[in-house]
Amino acid sequence: MSAKPLFDRILIANRGEIALRVIRTARELGMETVAVYSDFDRNAVHTRMAHVAVPLCGNLPSESYLVADKILAAAKATGAQAIHPGYGFLSENANFARAVEAAGLAWIGPPASAIEVMGDKIESRRAMQAAGVPVVPGIVDPIDDAEAAVVIAQEIGYPIAIKAAAGGGGKGIRVVREPSEMKSAFRQASGEAVSSFGDGRLYMERYLDRGRHIEVQVMFDAHGNGVHFGERECSIQRRHQKLLEECPSVVITDELRARMGEVALQAGRAVSYRGAGTVEFLYMDGEFYFLEMNTRLQVEHPITEMVTGVDLVHEQLRVAAGQELGYDQSAIRMRGHSIEVRINAEDVPAGFLPSTGTVRNLRLPGGPWVRIDSCLYRGLVVGLNYDPMLAKIIVWGPDRTVAIARMKRALEELNVGGVRTSAPAAMAVLEEPRFISGDFDTKFLESLDLSKARGGLSILAAAAAALHRRNEAQRQALAPDAASRRGWTQRHRGSLTDHIRRSQ
Amino acid sequence: MKYYVNVNGTEHEVVLTERLGVLTVEVDGEVLDTDYHEVDQLGQAHLLSGGKSYAVSVEGDDTRVAVTIAGHVYDIEIEDERERAAHAAAREAAKHGGLIKAVMPGVVVELLVAVGDSVEAGQPLLILEAMKMQNEIEATAPAVVEKLHVAAGEAVAAGAPLVTLKAPE
Repeated sequence: MSAKPLFDRILIANRGEIALRVIRTARELGMETVAVYSDFDRNAVHTRMAHVAVPLCGNLPSESYLVADKILAAAKATGAQAIHPGYGFLSENANFARAVEAAGLAWIGPPASAIEVMGDKIESRRAMQAAGVPVVPGIVDPIDDAEAAVVIAQEIGYPIAIKAAAGGGGKGIRVVREPSEMKSAFRQASGEAVSSFGDGRLYMERYLDRGRHIEVQVMFDAHGNGVHFGERECSIQRRHQKLLEECPSVVITDELRARMGEVALQAGRAVSYRGAGTVEFLYMDGEFYFLEMNTRLQVEHPITEMVTGVDLVHEQLRVAAGQELGYDQSAIRMRGHSIEVRINAEDVPAGFLPSTGTVRNLRLPGGPWVRIDSCLYRGLVVGLNYDPMLAKIIVWGPDRTVAIARMKRALEELNVGGVRTSAPAAMAVLEEPRFISGDFDTKFLESLDLSKARGGLSILAAAAAALHRRNEAQRQALAPDAASRRGWTQRHRGSLTDHIRRSQ
Repeated sequence: MKYYVNVNGTEHEVVLTERLGVLTVEVDGEVLDTDYHEVDQLGQAHLLSGGKSYAVSVEGDDTRVAVTIAGHVYDIEIEDERERAAHAAAREAAKHGGLIKAVMPGVVVELLVAVGDSVEAGQPLLILEAMKMQNEIEATAPAVVEKLHVAAGEAVAAGAPLVTLKAPE
């Protein structure tokens, strides 16, 4: 690395743990960072950890993190030279990528044209088919209505997946197993597609039931060089929302990894890719099919970092600054095993419903080879405004067995109070013999009964609850009466107001 | 003091007796040796029991708490004897017909039934959008729609009444 940083100052157009993730690498590289924040995020960790923080005003994403003009104005006002979009929000918005470059700033992401092709599921399927990349059997044209869908479904064969052309993040996807389900599924998928992406176009493909979701991390520089960083196993998901990821996958051999990696690079080259990207595959019985390419840094990128020892954000910054990768595929070595668990604000026994509240207790795990990427702090108000992901726990071990034991240990240490989290679901997964043996697919998590707590300490829990209630009751009995306390504050406030009035 | 403690659907009777400053904990008639210490006022506690040590956290209000022990969360409903009698009456009343409430805050996207409709168990009644996901809210049993409490496009809070069902005649 040269003495002068790649950029003097970069702006991170995001929030939460990913904003902090980028800030951390930038700080290590001697760059200054600019955070942007909504009114809601005034106290957020990313707001506090950056060198400069610019208010976007407004609470809704559509008033803040999604407003390109506000972000570009913030970059201009603070003299930022580059913009990192994180994931979500504007990260896969081709117009924003263009606007950033038109403003004379470096865009820490792929070319707008690549975002456009890969962002449209129908376009990308066409492009990949043309480039010789294997895709899931299905049709590439948008379907008109549920009736037309039933006709086409007959040709492809059930089960069918209806997907939003503009989709991503599991939104706008519905699985249909028989013609009678088509109408309701079509309506829901189309409704979600319109509300989430403003684009109701749907397409259909064969739903490969017992598949695994395996993705390959790639990185290209602006000089035509590209490498892959192996795969990530993302089959532990529910309604297409990932819960636990691991690297490498138990089913991918060295030979298969090389083949999938080459196909992933082929996919990237077909759209003249630059920067970090992820090519998602559906894997079944030794065969793999292209699903989509995510033209951004993924949530689960840290497990690749743990296993390859490469800071992917650093590489993104180098590439955006115009540097060559400076190494080839032979330099990428995978060592050991890494697992990530997403800590989402969700109520697992209630069927993963969103959970809201204020974080009271907070005990984060630590110890050897445990990494926490988190936006949690005591006092954080978890609402419905943003993505429910609060933190990621990432562990590394010399092999999968050690990594599993380490993750269980870390989850035992974790406690997030005041809001329910997905951690118990991850714990249940880690204890399942089928997960331990590596024999699972994307249906595995949904097949588990998570409505009841596991762990077998119900008696102790019952005793603790009763003791807690007794102590609470004692505290309330000892505390001054609430009414008298309120009376006192009101009197106090009254006199204060009088005082201000007098002084005016 | 006697508490009825429901842990994930299984009921336990917990009796706490304090004599001469010594607290005895009995669960389902058996004495449990416990030493319960609160670490802070936020719900972190330490429990010694049966020669083992447990870092515990307890969150919630008087009647519903979540106890976390070693990464597992136990959902608990707790009642004393007086509350138990009151709740039993309410539960009995709720058996006939029923009120479907929003289990999460969201926006009603579409109503799929009208007043007077007969519905089957599992039939979708309305679509509720939360966290950008559309969720079908289903009838819990065969019933007739008695009242709709919401309209399409309406934002609802968690616990808000959505649909009242009555038993079919």
